Amino acid sequence: MRRRFGAGFWIATAWISLVVAAAALADLLPIPGYDETLVGPPRSGPSAEHPFGTDGLGRDVFSRVVHGARVSLGVGIGAVVLGLGLGAPLGVLAGYRKGFADAVIMAVNDIALAFPSLVFALAVVAFAGASLRNVLIVLGVLGIPAWVRLIRGATLSFAEREFVLAARVLGVRDRRILWRDIMPNVAVPAASYAFIGMAVVIVAEGSLAFLGLSVQAPTPTWGGLINEGRTLMETAPHVVLAPSIVMFLTVLSFNLVGDRLRALTDVRQSGLEPARQSAPLPAGPGAEPVTGALLQVDDLRTHIHTPRGTVKAVDGVSFTLERGRTLAIVGESGSGKSMLIRTILGLLPAADVSRGGHVRLEGDDLTRFTPEEMRQVLGRRLGTVFQDPMTALNPVRTIGTQVTEPLRVHLGMSRKRAREEAARLLASVGIPDPARTLGRYPHQLSGGMRQRVTIAMALSCGPDVLFADEPTTALDVTIQDQVLRLIHRLREERDMAVVLVSHDLSVVRQWADEVIVMYAGKVVEHGPAEQVFARPRMPYTEALLQAAPRLTDPSHHRLRVIPGRPPDLADVPPGCPFRPRCAYAQDRCGAEAPPLTGDHDHLYACWHPTGSAVAGAPEGAESHGR
Amino acid sequence: MAGSGTAHLRPRDEVLLQVENLYVEFPAGRGRTVRAVSGVSFDLAKGETLGIVGESGCGKSSTARALIQLPRPRAGSVRLDGLDLTSLRGEALRRVRRRLQMIFQDPISSLNPRRRVREIVEEGPKVWGRGALDVDEVLEAVGLDPATAAVRRPHEFSGGQCQRVSIARALVLEPEVVICDEPVSALDVSVQAQILALLEDLKERYRLTLVFIAHDLAVVKNVSDRILVMYLGKTCELAPSEDLIARPAHPYTKALLAAIPGSGLDLPPADRLISGEPPSPVDPPSGCRFRTRCPRAAERCAREEPEIRPVNGGDHYVACHFPDL
Amino acid sequence: MILVVHRLVRLVVVLLVVTFLSYGLLNLLPGDPVTQILGISATEEARAQLRADMGLDQPLMVRYADWLSGLLSGDWGTSYISRVPVADELAERLPVTLELLVAAQLVALGLAIPVGVAAARRAGGALDQALTAMSFALLSTPVFVLGVLLILIFAVTWQVVPATGWTPISVDLGWNLTSVLLPAITLGCGQLAVYARLLRADLIATLQEDYITLARARGLSPRRILWRHALRPSAISLITAVGLNLGALIGGTVIIETLFGLPGIGRLIVDSIFSRDYLTVQGGVVLISVGYVLVNFLVDVVYAAVDPRIRRA
Ligand SMILES: Nc1ncnc2c1ncn2[C@@H]1O[C@H](COP(=O)(O)OP(=O)(O)OP(=O)(O)O)[C@@H](O)[C@H]1O
Ligand code: SF4
Ligand code: SF4
Ligand SMILES: [Mg+2]
Repeated sequence: MRRRFGAGFWIATAWISLVVAAAALADLLPIPGYDETLVGPPRSGPSAEHPFGTDGLGRDVFSRVVHGARVSLGVGIGAVVLGLGLGAPLGVLAGYRKGFADAVIMAVNDIALAFPSLVFALAVVAFAGASLRNVLIVLGVLGIPAWVRLIRGATLSFAEREFVLAARVLGVRDRRILWRDIMPNVAVPAASYAFIGMAVVIVAEGSLAFLGLSVQAPTPTWGGLINEGRTLMETAPHVVLAPSIVMFLTVLSFNLVGDRLRALTDVRQSGLEPARQSAPLPAGPGAEPVTGALLQVDDLRTHIHTPRGTVKAVDGVSFTLERGRTLAIVGESGSGKSMLIRTILGLLPAADVSRGGHVRLEGDDLTRFTPEEMRQVLGRRLGTVFQDPMTALNPVRTIGTQVTEPLRVHLGMSRKRAREEAARLLASVGIPDPARTLGRYPHQLSGGMRQRVTIAMALSCGPDVLFADEPTTALDVTIQDQVLRLIHRLREERDMAVVLVSHDLSVVRQWADEVIVMYAGKVVEHGPAEQVFARPRMPYTEALLQAAPRLTDPSHHRLRVIPGRPPDLADVPPGCPFRPRCAYAQDRCGAEAPPLTGDHDHLYACWHPTGSAVAGAPEGAESHGR
Repeated sequence: MAGSGTAHLRPRDEVLLQVENLYVEFPAGRGRTVRAVSGVSFDLAKGETLGIVGESGCGKSSTARALIQLPRPRAGSVRLDGLDLTSLRGEALRRVRRRLQMIFQDPISSLNPRRRVREIVEEGPKVWGRGALDVDEVLEAVGLDPATAAVRRPHEFSGGQCQRVSIARALVLEPEVVICDEPVSALDVSVQAQILALLEDLKERYRLTLVFIAHDLAVVKNVSDRILVMYLGKTCELAPSEDLIARPAHPYTKALLAAIPGSGLDLPPADRLISGEPPSPVDPPSGCRFRTRCPRAAERCAREEPEIRPVNGGDHYVACHFPDL
Repeated sequence: MILVVHRLVRLVVVLLVVTFLSYGLLNLLPGDPVTQILGISATEEARAQLRADMGLDQPLMVRYADWLSGLLSGDWGTSYISRVPVADELAERLPVTLELLVAAQLVALGLAIPVGVAAARRAGGALDQALTAMSFALLSTPVFVLGVLLILIFAVTWQVVPATGWTPISVDLGWNLTSVLLPAITLGCGQLAVYARLLRADLIATLQEDYITLARARGLSPRRILWRHALRPSAISLITAVGLNLGALIGGTVIIETLFGLPGIGRLIVDSIFSRDYLTVQGGVVLISVGYVLVNFLVDVVYAAVDPRIRRA
């Protein structure tokens, strides 16, 4: 956790502690009183005796700033404690109870927000006097509506989580759920807001003081000091600068601490383009370009440098693909399937990634392309479809703008022609009423329709290869069947090649010509689909096939259980990565990594390949639907 | 069905849980209503596993939640050992909760990220005092190390392990019925096999009665004694697992089976058994709710809702005017 | 339609509650306008007479009801002190505050959007870090400190703009712009920092969405992706913040108005509270709460324009 805060956080914390300590101990410190005049010559600059100099009346500015901190921090911390103390319970109540309590609290809150805070503040201060306590109460009360909103929002986001439901199923009482399940989760964002809130209140108190409406003289306040110092700006700038700088640093520190705390709740990093480009991995010897191959991937490697170590997400993957064929990539989550596709397309996640190996598209090495050249290939010659059609379309743009965009950008079509072409494309992927669909937004379509739209977009410029990364995982079986059929039909019509990524063995079994099985970033088996499924040689493939339940097995059939789980890609054991889970492992497996070898076109990485035929599905199942 | 009826229910004294004519509805804004579940009935004998399958949005999860009264169904009864849960309120309802536990789909979000795993499992016994199983023993039973569980939080575990925690949390209260809502859908094949095997073991060891919800028929078949097929809030077919797969009588069941790639069953391609997409549950079709996608749909299907009835002799039930016999 | 009715009801409720509360609050204040007008030395009879003339001897509820019925018939009352109709006074001051607000938002948004986009483009890069540091510094500089600083630099040292004072648009557009420039920059800078940070954070999140990766996979240029694809879905927090700010700033710009000597609503209210000029304060309160409700309504309209998922029917 410490590592995630960074140095800034700790410096800021130290500064806050220092100011708090100074304010608390102000009377004990060996410094002149804040209203003792002529402790030094008036308007003298900083010196050893008066570190911040003296003001127009010869008072010690350092002492005045330290005493001023009492007001600023007192009000800052006090008002937030007050506001949070009253606002948080209301916010939690509104967010957890919902319904009536929520409606009432939020209606009152809404009115409170509409009430002019300035009028309130002035009226109270004028009525009750501008004491530290009153200023604190005013600023604290003014903050309540904001606190109610923030805490309610945070509560809502947790109250809807399944763990709260689970607690209710256990028969836990509401009060305990609030204390045990909601509060601890709301506490982190609340703490972060509290620090930011303190910064806001310190500034607000300063503003009141600047207007002469906060704690009255002779008690010094930062805002008041700055206001007083203004008149001496030209002759003694330190009188205004000292409180300004201290105030700035303090507010900055509270903001920083609050911001770092918030980073605890949401960890988002990276942007559109890498901030740092990592050095490429040393290129291997590089196989000769295979003539006639449409896509040739050669020893592709993607290593991501993380704080935990180097994650070898893709580690030496090679294959070739011809037109009119479907290559499937199977493997469990985390085996590097998606990363492989992104590496081929040059869409690696932002920073700290090194890539090695070659990707040749009809002989041209894409890894050597500049971003500009790559953009000419992407979309035009390589089409892409992703797993979740919910997130694959931009929610705020119409289907029409999105489908026509590649046509206009890559093919330079006019708006009108692009729309006609887009309607034709939508019709070709089986969308009823394409012309009307063009004007609709993604959320108005079902998941299956959305996936058809993304397929239409991927195909719009007539690509040579279609990459489909789990195209049907988020869809129902009946819709999955329609979409896979569609991809298959389009492949035939357009003479494309398809790279189909899936974790679902039965999908792969039915639709692929060739299969690559990935495990821990490596290819562990590669061959024609029928052969791999009927006669897997690598123990992992075999175990995977036996672990998946099949309709033809009887009920309560004991599935093959693969013990353990895939290795951490940052720390792959030496030798065969599957060894800790392999039933056939022997000494050699732990010492030496098995190479990818085999007979003909069926390759496997195993020292002790299995020979047994696994009972495959009846032949009939494989043919229909093609 | 998309139909209704209770012909398939067994006598009340033979079953542990009986659900009759369950209706679940949600407001959909602008005065409209999502009819998530419309008159579903089923029952479970002690020690039995009932599988519920259907496509997303067909009301599986809504049914599961209606069983535990969160939220309470709009109509219908849920009888546990003769006690109607829908009639209970407050403390009385809270007290029966421990007899009926649930396992959720998302292993991560169903565990509080800020509590240690052992605390999560201990929550039930803490609330209920004595009478619960030993926490360590249950942790061991689901394949977790109690020492590790005492110090780790959920995010330090994999999805499969988190699902084990969920299972332990439910089991430690010694429930009579456990409702599993897509417990393996978020898991990889190899982990799924582990969890399915674990559930079978635990079922034997703790003599559990299970409701097992999933969208994957192969998974459901593997764990269930009987399977209920749902479509758009209605029942289509209910039959013993083997029977349902071998002799599907409802057109929707057949389509569902045919759509499974490489199923190994002798069925025509799915695109000849089903077309289009499910209609909105806000405005379901009249008569048989499946008729908009059914290749056999006839005029009668739009007019008259099919009643559930026995077919093929024995305990195979279907709600269709023109079933495949 | 339903939405509009709903809004109107809400506006009325908010107005009633807020004005009543402020009326009551003001009456709690020690001292009254009579003292302000006649001075402390006036005789008790004279005071009582004036009180009766002004209707101040009536019970609180009666006076509030009077005021309210006046408001409905378009009579906002007459200032106790200046004897000018409150409505006229407000009408004269409102444009100043509004111009200041709009100009400040233009400054803030005009800079925050490019800054946020540039920072998000290479998150964690040198530019991002520099911009983040800068916005933190801005965020932590109280507006009165910044104002003092800017006056010192631009008005006192370089003398490119007047330090204080106001020229209405109707008098001279050029002078009007120079007089609003410094206040607007001062006010806008603090918000610039908030906006840029919000936009950056949301953009970074958006850029990780699948549809952005897919847009890249379609060979679109980074510039196009940022501005055409990512900006709009990332704007929700920014819009919320602008709305909250606008709502809070109508009448809340008193520091700026004081610092730069602008005759705005905020200053008017503060002065009126001190002189117990209740009717003027009440007028200001009405403006502020109407403004708040209107801004909220506008924000909802903008949400719907930006994100079609929010649109209803
Ligand atoms: N809280 C809710 N508010 C409104 N509508 C809901 C709510 N919960 C579910 N629904 C709707 O009720 C219908 C049935 O939903 P339910 O979650 O029970 O389906 P499901 O079969 O479990 O689907 P899945 O396979 O996706 O989990 C759907 O149309 C769904 O959108
Ligand atoms: S190399 Fe050894 S450990 Fe690896 S899969 Fe083969 S037999 Fe198992
Ligand atoms: S045949 Fe008629 S009743 Fe049977 S499923 Fe089809 S539409 Fe429904
Ligand atoms: Mg569900």
